[in-house]
Amino acid sequence: MKKTLVLLPAFLFFLLSPCLANTHINCTIRLDRHKAALMDSVKMVVTVSGTKKIDSRPVLSGLEPFDVTQRGSSSRVEIINGKLSASTDYIYFLQPKKTGIHIIGPAVVRAKGTVFKSNKERLIVKKIVPSSGSDQGPLFLSAGLSAKKVYVGEQAVYTIKLFHRARISNVSLNLPEIKNIGFKQLGKPSEYQSVYNGRSYKVLEVRYALITSSNGVFGIEPSQMSMNVFQPRRQSSRSLFNSPFSGDPFFNDSFFSMSTGRPVTLASKPLELKVLSLPKRGRPAGFSGLVGNFQIESKLEPSNIKAGESATLTVCLRGRGNVNRIPDLKVPELAHAKVYADEPVLKTETDTQGITGSKTMKWAIVPEKEGQYRIPELPVSFFDTKNHGYRVIKTAVLSLSVLPGEMGEVAVLTGHEKKKGPPSPAKKAVKEIGHDILPVHTSINGLASVQPFLPRNILSLLFMVGPLFIYFAAFFALRYKKRSKGSSAAVKAKKAAKKLTQKCRGKNFSSGDLILYIRDYLNERFGLSIGSMTPDDAIEILKARGVSDQTAKKLQVILQGLESSIYSGKGQGPVDIEENIPRLINKIERELR
Amino acid sequence: MKKFVPGTIFLVFFLLLAPVMAAECRQWEALFFRANQAYKEGRYQESIDNYGKLIQSGLKNGHIYYNLGNSYFKKRELGRAIFNYERARLWLPGDADLKYNLAFAYDQTRDAVIEPQSLVSITFFWLKEVTLIEVFWGFAIMNLMFWGILFVRLFLRSEWTYYLFLVFLVFWIIGGLSFGLKYYRAETDDRAVIIKNEVNILAGPDNHDTVLFKLHEGTVVHYERSEDGWSLVHLPDKKRGWVKGNGIEIIRKTRSTQDSPRKLKNRSRNAKEN
Repeated sequence: MKKTLVLLPAFLFFLLSPCLANTHINCTIRLDRHKAALMDSVKMVVTVSGTKKIDSRPVLSGLEPFDVTQRGSSSRVEIINGKLSASTDYIYFLQPKKTGIHIIGPAVVRAKGTVFKSNKERLIVKKIVPSSGSDQGPLFLSAGLSAKKVYVGEQAVYTIKLFHRARISNVSLNLPEIKNIGFKQLGKPSEYQSVYNGRSYKVLEVRYALITSSNGVFGIEPSQMSMNVFQPRRQSSRSLFNSPFSGDPFFNDSFFSMSTGRPVTLASKPLELKVLSLPKRGRPAGFSGLVGNFQIESKLEPSNIKAGESATLTVCLRGRGNVNRIPDLKVPELAHAKVYADEPVLKTETDTQGITGSKTMKWAIVPEKEGQYRIPELPVSFFDTKNHGYRVIKTAVLSLSVLPGEMGEVAVLTGHEKKKGPPSPAKKAVKEIGHDILPVHTSINGLASVQPFLPRNILSLLFMVGPLFIYFAAFFALRYKKRSKGSSAAVKAKKAAKKLTQKCRGKNFSSGDLILYIRDYLNERFGLSIGSMTPDDAIEILKARGVSDQTAKKLQVILQGLESSIYSGKGQGPVDIEENIPRLINKIERELR
Repeated sequence: MKKFVPGTIFLVFFLLLAPVMAAECRQWEALFFRANQAYKEGRYQESIDNYGKLIQSGLKNGHIYYNLGNSYFKKRELGRAIFNYERARLWLPGDADLKYNLAFAYDQTRDAVIEPQSLVSITFFWLKEVTLIEVFWGFAIMNLMFWGILFVRLFLRSEWTYYLFLVFLVFWIIGGLSFGLKYYRAETDDRAVIIKNEVNILAGPDNHDTVLFKLHEGTVVHYERSEDGWSLVHLPDKKRGWVKGNGIEIIRKTRSTQDSPRKLKNRSRNAKEN
């Protein structure tokens, strides 16, 4: 187990060491501010990135006018997107001994026998603190502007400093709201020691870039800073060391006898900023409103290609100012070459002086023919705040040599450059770099005259109308068949009355025969199949079919008379047909209608 | 015996014509190959002539119009290219090559004329991918199945025939609506393509009339009527005006794009009133 614990870091170091060795080493100097007063402490950080190991600590030049205090170093190793980076920060505190403009740096480091140099930084040291505080006591807030007059689009740095000699916490800042002026914080708040009116203070400094969008004179209302202020418990008179605030009436307040602290709000003095409009005279055509100081760079890679291949033109515009107004440049059309623009990349950074940034624009250039291609200069205009005038900067004229392309070469590439080595896991959208129509159809299979419109022949008509016709023919045939069945019953019913009347006209039939005739009539008339029928049954049948009670009773009486004649023995012989039977049947028929 | 007479006549007629038809087919093939070869070698005018001859000889199909469109495109005649692609679309609405080339050609046009999408077009989205004849036969089959199941139900009223009837009813209605819509669109297709590089659209059919706006080749307009060698056209946003007749080509000659006797009568009446 112990062996594993020892071996694991060794193994990791073994794995990481080639990566570290291959990384580019870079050395930079950063100051926490560029203006200071005598006896102020300025924090300086020397960052060595790209390696964890250097032969010795950085050697710094230009530190003669300062008292230098070293405050250790901090190292870090990061793995971002599979790339390993290591850096070490060496922290120093500088206390100026004399006024003036001091150039600090470069810092020199040696790694594996190679010397690397850093940038230089400039520090202006003045006698007094260039600010006016609202309170000159142990706790006061000051605000200042880097310039009282700026042009529209130019940045002014608004600095707020809290001078304090007590422990503070929960500090919050309320900035004034100004129409047409925006605030953008520049870096993190910095803390340092400073001397003001012969007294030592801790200073909390916050910087903002003021972004102006229209001209005029703008009043900057006081900024307000709220905090909790703490003071150690009062020391007894027997104490060996007196508090440095003991003579200050501010801290003699009863609140400071508590350890919890007292909420305090401070306000800075109001300021005024004059924003000048940009001069119309000499304004270049197509001026985008870019104000500041900018440089332009361009490169074409590769500069020798074959026809059909692509070269990448990169233009980078960087500088200090309103970088968001950097225009998107356009490469003019090139004869026999196609130009495809990539999405521009805008990067914005802040430092203590304001906002800096860069815009990188790329184009893929695909020449169609061999020859020499000239990429003209691309101009950008901006207002130079140092020279108070417009400037036009241009890219260099670039040249592209194109050799004859290979036959059958695939013209579509992914991205603008073909990368060698292991494939990247991040996929890119396939970009079309050539456009043309697809070829003609050469197959003779479809070489026949075809009618794309509605067919006008019998077959199509049959398909559309035939099924409908067949269905309705079958439907009506079935219906007719059903109806014919029903109609025979109706004819039979109609004939029943006639049949009975005819039978009644005949001679030689008995009462029993007559009852049977009447039963047959009722059966046929109403589609019944009754075998034997009483007079009561007859009356019920008739009433159910809508015959009136009176008529039905008449038939009941006749039937009862016939039955009684049978049972009395009179019904064996022929009976006289009463005249009223055919008449009664006619009446029943009428009522049934 | 009488029943066989028309069939026999047709058979004899076919047998007599068969050699003539075969010879014509061979001629078509030869012309087609020549046109394709000319296109391949960059002789676009020659390929246009040969494809044109095929069409004039009665060989009308989507592939010929597509190839003709390609030839015009290569000859940088965008208007005629789009016109022929649109004609090809009547036969081959779902052809991937044609769709790509037509979209590419439309991409090259200068006028931003956008045909609005109606709710019906969005609902019956499949109609763009099929020809009228295909919709017709699809509906004919649906029709056969629908009346077939109704016929069966005359004799067999079971549950499964009922559900089958419901399914067929839905398809029959959709098929019928699709066919009706496609037929209506085909019959009222009044689209025309600007074939000149730039044409003036005037307020009236006279050179001295005010120029209302300009259109460029490849733009699709809607044709209304013709008068004295001028055509009245309108755009989807209802801009209207007269263009010289040789500036446009009507994609499909339909009843709506041909002047009916009633239209002519109305026009002469209007002229008299004026």
